[in-house]
Amino acid sequence: MPPTNTAPIIEINGINKSFGAFKVLNDLSFSVAPREKLALIGPSGSGKTTILRILMTLEGIDSGEILVDGDSLYQMKRNGKLQPADDAHLHKMREKIGMVFQLFNLFPHKCVLDNVTLAPMLTKGVSRKDADHHAMELLDMVGLADKAKSMPSQLSGGQKQRVAIARALALKPKIMLFDEVTSALDPELVEEVLNVLWKLCRETDMTMLLVTHEMGFAHDFADRVLFFDRGRIVEDGKPDEIFRHPKQERTQAFLKKIIAAGHRV
Amino acid sequence: MEWDWAFVIQILPTLIEGAKITILATVLGYILAAIVGLAIAIVRRSKNKLISRPMGFVAEFIRGTPLLVQLYFIFYVLPDLGLTLSPLVAGVIGLGLHYGTYTAEVYRAGIDNVARGQWEAAKACNLNAWQTWTQVILPQALPPMIPALANYFIAMFKETPLLSAITVLELMNQARSIANYNYRYIEPITLVGAFFLVISLISVVGLRWLERRYGRID
Repeated sequence: MPPTNTAPIIEINGINKSFGAFKVLNDLSFSVAPREKLALIGPSGSGKTTILRILMTLEGIDSGEILVDGDSLYQMKRNGKLQPADDAHLHKMREKIGMVFQLFNLFPHKCVLDNVTLAPMLTKGVSRKDADHHAMELLDMVGLADKAKSMPSQLSGGQKQRVAIARALALKPKIMLFDEVTSALDPELVEEVLNVLWKLCRETDMTMLLVTHEMGFAHDFADRVLFFDRGRIVEDGKPDEIFRHPKQERTQAFLKKIIAAGHRV
Repeated sequence: MEWDWAFVIQILPTLIEGAKITILATVLGYILAAIVGLAIAIVRRSKNKLISRPMGFVAEFIRGTPLLVQLYFIFYVLPDLGLTLSPLVAGVIGLGLHYGTYTAEVYRAGIDNVARGQWEAAKACNLNAWQTWTQVILPQALPPMIPALANYFIAMFKETPLLSAITVLELMNQARSIANYNYRYIEPITLVGAFFLVISLISVVGLRWLERRYGRID
């Protein structure tokens, strides 16, 4: 359970984001407590993935402010004045955040072990020996220690995604972002990935943001659920409230559709 | 006119000297073209339009004018501006710049073929621009481009006789001076043609091998 009365680790204040004429995020605000497990749900195009991409600095924002761990993500103070963040500032901020993608995005030319050790060795100066050691622990945790020398092309989708999780964890982020990490998987491979998430949820104190269509898993996993529609948060509450007793009409309609499509809630 | 084997043997050493220069100019010119092309491709990708636009203009300008004119400019006009180059250096620079604008297009296509997710994963792994290019993007982009790059190597090789126009003593120039001196064209010019044919055929076999080896990656 997230502790109360602590400063939020993520604070989003009135951000706006458009792709051309399409407004993806509309004056959006919310905050996340340290160690909180947050599920972001909603129809596609509702802006939930965009939030993760903005936090990972893959997309910028048009206006508003984001604080991560007390520091502004897209602005920095220089000579007492706020300025747009430079590469060094973004680099420092990204150290706090890891991301796992829907399509894995493993480096196809590197073996599993090198996928996991690349970033710690390059960005933190970790020695080969220490990086290998930590990577093997992580691969063991996701159940793939025996695949360390395999190439990504030799793995199943579920295995690739577990490697991708290990790769993100290797940088020891405080915040982990999971962007529809099971959406591209064959149904029988979904569970092995969810099991890893579940393990992380129970055994680590990372803050986790999960964008998902797995409503059953979101219900069990999350401390709090945000329901997005058209770039705004329509409903924000505990999983039981959102899934069992949604107050908003749009949430009810969405959940009905999802259940009709065969997802368990 | 009869084929004279004695004359062939007499001129062969001179032609071999020329062939060495031809090969040297090709190799050096190609190395330069490979580097210049990569630099053009990367600079043209820059988000800063003040950098990418002028580079695009320069590349189009070089590609849109004949190599022979460029060679003349580098060798005969630059000295007026205070830069005098030896014939071979001028020739290598001319070949490298000209073909660099072609290899740039190969690089551009190869780089564009790397999935966008790879750039994003590199960013999520907090790699900087240099690390992203050298560790993630180029190792994936380069192998599929190797056949196309090798193709320009062969094309450039066959254009090296143009260097004779700026007094480089490459194969064609040697053959022409032998011919002019002896009033016999058939042997020297035939040998030049045979030399280019043999090297080109060997190169094509090598190119086919490269295509099989690197043509596609999974």
